[in-house]
Amino acid sequence: MSTLIQAQSLTKRYGSKLALDDVSFEITKGAPVALVGPNGAGKTTLFSLLCGYILPTHGQLNILGQKPGSSALFGKLSALPQDAQLDPRFSITHQLAFYGQLQGLSAKQSQTEALRVLDLVGLTEVAQQRSDDLSHGMRKRVTIGQALIGKPEIVMLDEATAGLDPIHAREVRELVANLSDEATFILSSHDLTELERLCGQVLHLNKGTLTEHQANNTQQQTQHFMTILFAQNYDHIERTIQTLPAVSRVYMSQAKEYVIEYQKSDDLFDIDLLNFCHQQGWRYRHLVNGHTLENQIFTQEKV
Amino acid sequence: MSQLHPQRLIKIAQFELVRLFLTKRGLLAVAAFTICWLLVLRYPIGQAVSIISSPEMAELAKQVFGAIGLSKLLDWPEAELAMYWLIALYSFPCFCLFICSDQIVGDKQRGTLRFLTLRATRNEILLGRFLGQVLILAALMAVTLIATLAVMVFRDASLLMHGLSRGFIMLCYLIVAVMPFIALMALLNTFARSARLALVLAILFFALGNIVIGILAWQIPALSVLDYLFPGVQLDQMAGQNSSMFSSLGIPLLQSAILLLVAQRIFLRSSL
Repeated sequence: MSTLIQAQSLTKRYGSKLALDDVSFEITKGAPVALVGPNGAGKTTLFSLLCGYILPTHGQLNILGQKPGSSALFGKLSALPQDAQLDPRFSITHQLAFYGQLQGLSAKQSQTEALRVLDLVGLTEVAQQRSDDLSHGMRKRVTIGQALIGKPEIVMLDEATAGLDPIHAREVRELVANLSDEATFILSSHDLTELERLCGQVLHLNKGTLTEHQANNTQQQTQHFMTILFAQNYDHIERTIQTLPAVSRVYMSQAKEYVIEYQKSDDLFDIDLLNFCHQQGWRYRHLVNGHTLENQIFTQEKV
Repeated sequence: MSQLHPQRLIKIAQFELVRLFLTKRGLLAVAAFTICWLLVLRYPIGQAVSIISSPEMAELAKQVFGAIGLSKLLDWPEAELAMYWLIALYSFPCFCLFICSDQIVGDKQRGTLRFLTLRATRNEILLGRFLGQVLILAALMAVTLIATLAVMVFRDASLLMHGLSRGFIMLCYLIVAVMPFIALMALLNTFARSARLALVLAILFFALGNIVIGILAWQIPALSVLDYLFPGVQLDQMAGQNSSMFSSLGIPLLQSAILLLVAQRIFLRSSL
């Protein structure tokens, strides 16, 4: 797999505040990558470094063999920066077409491209309007559209679904899933369920330091843990599940959700568990092979 | 970050023209500008002819203009152009401080610059916007100059050919004269937090800067060389057609280059 982004010992200080501390990682072409962490963890700083908006205090950053901000990356790397807005004095099409022209498209091609990306985000009807005339959610979708102009190889979306209603947030997720064969997406979001659905690699930032997780659980994890969410609270769940022969430990991770640790040798444990729930008359919402991403991250941030 | 691609540079400059002439706010600015200049054309420029043609007024004008070094202008048969030259030479630099006060700062605050820097280098944005403002000023000056020529030809059509060639030379000098003012605003835009603040800083730069240098030069006369830090230092000499080619063109071009270079160094390192 080809390496798209390589960061080595990346450090960023704002005065005395350490925003990123010796961060190293590699992103290869493929499934979307999630960037998660609590507020102030350094996610936007990392995005800004990748886009060339700020310079690192120390360390090396290499994107498609280039330094961030290099003109060789124009059209190959695109982004939705957090809180960035289009100019309210121009129509949306006019600005998107202008961006297309800066990326090397002709005047006619850029018009077509502007309408294409607006269609992708379901906003062709507002093409001639100004961004001030749109709702917050629509403005967000337009700015997602600008990140899709041309054929970018890397698309970075910082809090793309924040502020969107559930239907449009889902549409954005579907858009990312549909386009993830053409481009590698790097997504930052606080919605861990969303990231779990979309992403393979997870970069977890906390207080400026980075750890990596796999959203699609590793072999080792799938054979050790199950996470089950029940439809309602039942009595003595932990004690009852503990009676299953393969189970070594059960604990409640959050309301109605339990993590079950079991013996690696039991290949059909999921079937056994569901049968057991059926026998007990317990209704469940979902069963996850391994830990949920939320639990992995929560456990780590509590440590 | 430091490359310059001509096509992107031109696109950015063109976009600035659209900003003035095809947006609602830009058109309002053009409308206000047009009304002001209609008044200028109707009164000072129109009356310039009567001043020159009346023997009593001409004598008075000669005395006044001679005292402030403008006597050469009285020899111009194109009196309207002489008056236009005086008004344009001082009003356009002031006007350009206002209309060029938001070259990048608005986009920076709004985050629009973040979209742009993924498609154009910072140098292209800075220089493209500067060139765009120069084009806007050039267009506005050309329009007012044409209107002045029209007033002149209405009075005496035989002045047209000579007026055209004199007008063209004046336009070139005027464009170069406003360049350091635009470059100064580009520089202030790299660190100011709003267009209004950039304008305030520009006014402070001229007002306080002149006072400080005046005091310094009074103590140490050699420090009067610091006057060359200020855009427009050559305007008084230019007004009376008394300045050399270097003073009229060289100084403003050099000032523009230095101001843009400083702006470029700051902008390259600034966070977006």
